[in-house]
Amino acid sequence: MALHSYRIAREPYYRPAGDEIALFEAAHADRLPVMLKGPTGCGKTRFIEHMAWRLGRPLITVACNEDLTAADLVGRYLLEAEGTVWQDGPLTLAVRHGAICYLDEVVEARADTTVVIHPLADDRRALPLDKRNELLTAHPDFQLVVAYNPGYQSVAKDLKESTKQRFAALEFGYPTAATEAAIVAHEAGIEPAMARRVVAVAERSRNLRGRGLEEGASTRMLVHAGRLIARGVAPEAACRMAIVLPLTDDPDLRDALAAAVGACF
Amino acid sequence: MDGVDGNITLADVERRLRAYGTALWGVDPPLRPLVGEGDPAALRPRFDADLVRLPVVWPSLDLYRAALAHVGAHRMFSRPWPAKGLKPLLIIVVSLVEDARVEHLAMRRLPGLRRLWAPFHRVEPSPSLMAADLLERLARALFDAGYRDGNAWVDKGQRLFFERPERWDDPEFSLRLGGDLAGDLGKTRVQINARGHRVDPAYRDDNGGLWLHDTPPEPPRDTDDPLEAVRPEPMEGEGTRRTGPPQGSPSPPPLAVAENTALRPVARHPEWDHRIGLHRPDFVQVIEAVPEHAPPLSTPADARLAQRVRALVRHAVVARPERLRRQREGDALDLDACIAASAARRHGHVPDLRVYRRVRRRGRDLSVLLLLDASQSTNDPAGDGTVLDLERRSADLLAGALAAVGDRFALAAFRSDGREAVHWLPVKRFDDAYDAAARGRLAGLDGRWSTRMGAAIRHAGATLATQPTLRRLLLLVTDGEPSDIDCPDPRHLVEDARKAVRELAGRGIDVVCVALGGDPRTHHRIFGRRNVLPVDRVERLPEILPAVYVRLTG
Repeated sequence: MALHSYRIAREPYYRPAGDEIALFEAAHADRLPVMLKGPTGCGKTRFIEHMAWRLGRPLITVACNEDLTAADLVGRYLLEAEGTVWQDGPLTLAVRHGAICYLDEVVEARADTTVVIHPLADDRRALPLDKRNELLTAHPDFQLVVAYNPGYQSVAKDLKESTKQRFAALEFGYPTAATEAAIVAHEAGIEPAMARRVVAVAERSRNLRGRGLEEGASTRMLVHAGRLIARGVAPEAACRMAIVLPLTDDPDLRDALAAAVGACF
Repeated sequence: MDGVDGNITLADVERRLRAYGTALWGVDPPLRPLVGEGDPAALRPRFDADLVRLPVVWPSLDLYRAALAHVGAHRMFSRPWPAKGLKPLLIIVVSLVEDARVEHLAMRRLPGLRRLWAPFHRVEPSPSLMAADLLERLARALFDAGYRDGNAWVDKGQRLFFERPERWDDPEFSLRLGGDLAGDLGKTRVQINARGHRVDPAYRDDNGGLWLHDTPPEPPRDTDDPLEAVRPEPMEGEGTRRTGPPQGSPSPPPLAVAENTALRPVARHPEWDHRIGLHRPDFVQVIEAVPEHAPPLSTPADARLAQRVRALVRHAVVARPERLRRQREGDALDLDACIAASAARRHGHVPDLRVYRRVRRRGRDLSVLLLLDASQSTNDPAGDGTVLDLERRSADLLAGALAAVGDRFALAAFRSDGREAVHWLPVKRFDDAYDAAARGRLAGLDGRWSTRMGAAIRHAGATLATQPTLRRLLLLVTDGEPSDIDCPDPRHLVEDARKAVRELAGRGIDVVCVALGGDPRTHHRIFGRRNVLPVDRVERLPEILPAVYVRLTG
């Protein structure tokens, strides 16, 4: 089968923070387009991987950037010895064969690129391939999911109203301390007590959000710190390497954050 | 750096401390210098519901950190008790137990705080029965469960305190245990000077924040604190602020501003009061006024200068990469073009040979706001006209070049007549063309009134903040220093402008000042040394301004 390599073999670890799994399953049952919103590193991508595994659907992920063209999504003709041959883009692949297509950081894509998903995200569920003169009707299993971080979008980077209003949305945030500690303990393979300390570091950094830091430490950062600790790095050094230094270049904040890390261990 | 003996001043580490306190406790109370007479080593931090006061100079950064962490623990876990009718000794002992209780609660969450506080508990067991010594040893005994004192009273306190740690969550625990211990101490003949009592170790606050007094228990040290006189609440103008128009809503212009051109209040901005270290919210009103028209300036006298400026500006590269397709030359094949060419060849057509693509930096991703000072002093003579003439000429020259290369820019002037009337004169907005009308408005600028720079900078920042470009630059041309009729204290507007510049920097907006006079130290204070370009001979402004622009954007 065309999408075999896009199937997820092993269960990706995901710890629900609320009823997002049930909500997504309901949306998937009706193939509603879904938008995942939340800060970086809070588990949006992991969630969709988990859901794809859970629902038994292949998952095609596209990381959007400002150079992504509509052709990069839809497909293009390629040159071969005997002529041209059409190559489906990732979106077309998902539409044709029935996968979940996940557009990560969708606001980064240019506005003209995001427009190609419009006919797929309403009741038409079709993708016009103008270069091929083909109107591709979506496979019954196809579902469109996009993700973005509302935090750092600028005035220039926001989804068009016509795009936004085609989606149902799930909001993600950092999990509660206990949940987050369980995630860090599981993902990094460290003791729960140590994981709680690492989460305490994250709370310290999140306290500084908007007071010098754009964003506090993400769950992903905590997992990185935890992995260093699991490798035998001293906790303070691990947090400095995985959290404090990446977060800020401001010497005062760095100093304050390092001192606050010291208070956690 | 940390813990090294030497003198640390609060002003130097304030930002770091605030970030530290915020990180620990999630609240950011303003820090204030503690004003007091006598031995600075005897000063103890104080706090109340709104403020934390710390000594101006202290031996180490760790001491400041320890004090802030301790006060934070109080703010987190302590609730003030009414002090009415309580004996001073009771208050002292209960406070001491409370100090230990909140520290242990804090250490449950943040165990590393123990390493921060422990070095300050240096007292050792001794036979001394002086109250101050006993209290300090009790402080250590309650902090450090492993400490062994030997004095029966200290040992009893320690035993009762650590007996039932689960009771620490209850603030009443401190009252009960402190009450017991104070009673015991009162029965001995230990001498205590409650009034002169000094809390030890040094990082702990004076406990003033723990107790509610009907009347101040002692003449507080703050009475001679000049800060108290300038609390923000009783400031004049508070009433007018509340009734003042919300942003952008139409309202009749203040009577003080009698002018025939259309006046429209467009925004209110805060102003920084350095004496209290706070913003006065919505303190300044910005009024947009349309400059009168005048015949546009004749084309720049020196055509070669204009030419050079244009070339300079064009070569300044502020760009993000751009992918060019279907090029005749390039560093990669443009696949789509190849395919089209190949298909054309098979169809028997002549193929289009532009089959390459390349990346180049072309688009100039920059917005500039050129802000001119149009206060009274710009009417001073300079060269063969006034300072304002030169400002206008150089602005016209630069604007012409910017319009030619297509950079996003706006042009505005400002002046002020008190805080309710900071006039903002838009000559060209970002979306306008730099046409005859805009040039007419530029020519029609006249010099009047004063220079309330901070408000103008904030308003410029608000305008620039909406620009969707990578870089945003405010270029301020001024001939003097901030001043206004309602500000007798010259430092006030300087500090406010400095704060405004920092606020813009925090939003990613560069601010550069082209100074045509005034005290360079003032300009350095406001903009930072690197961001001031002094122009010694005002006549050279038309040449210099474009060069500044190029240096900044290149």
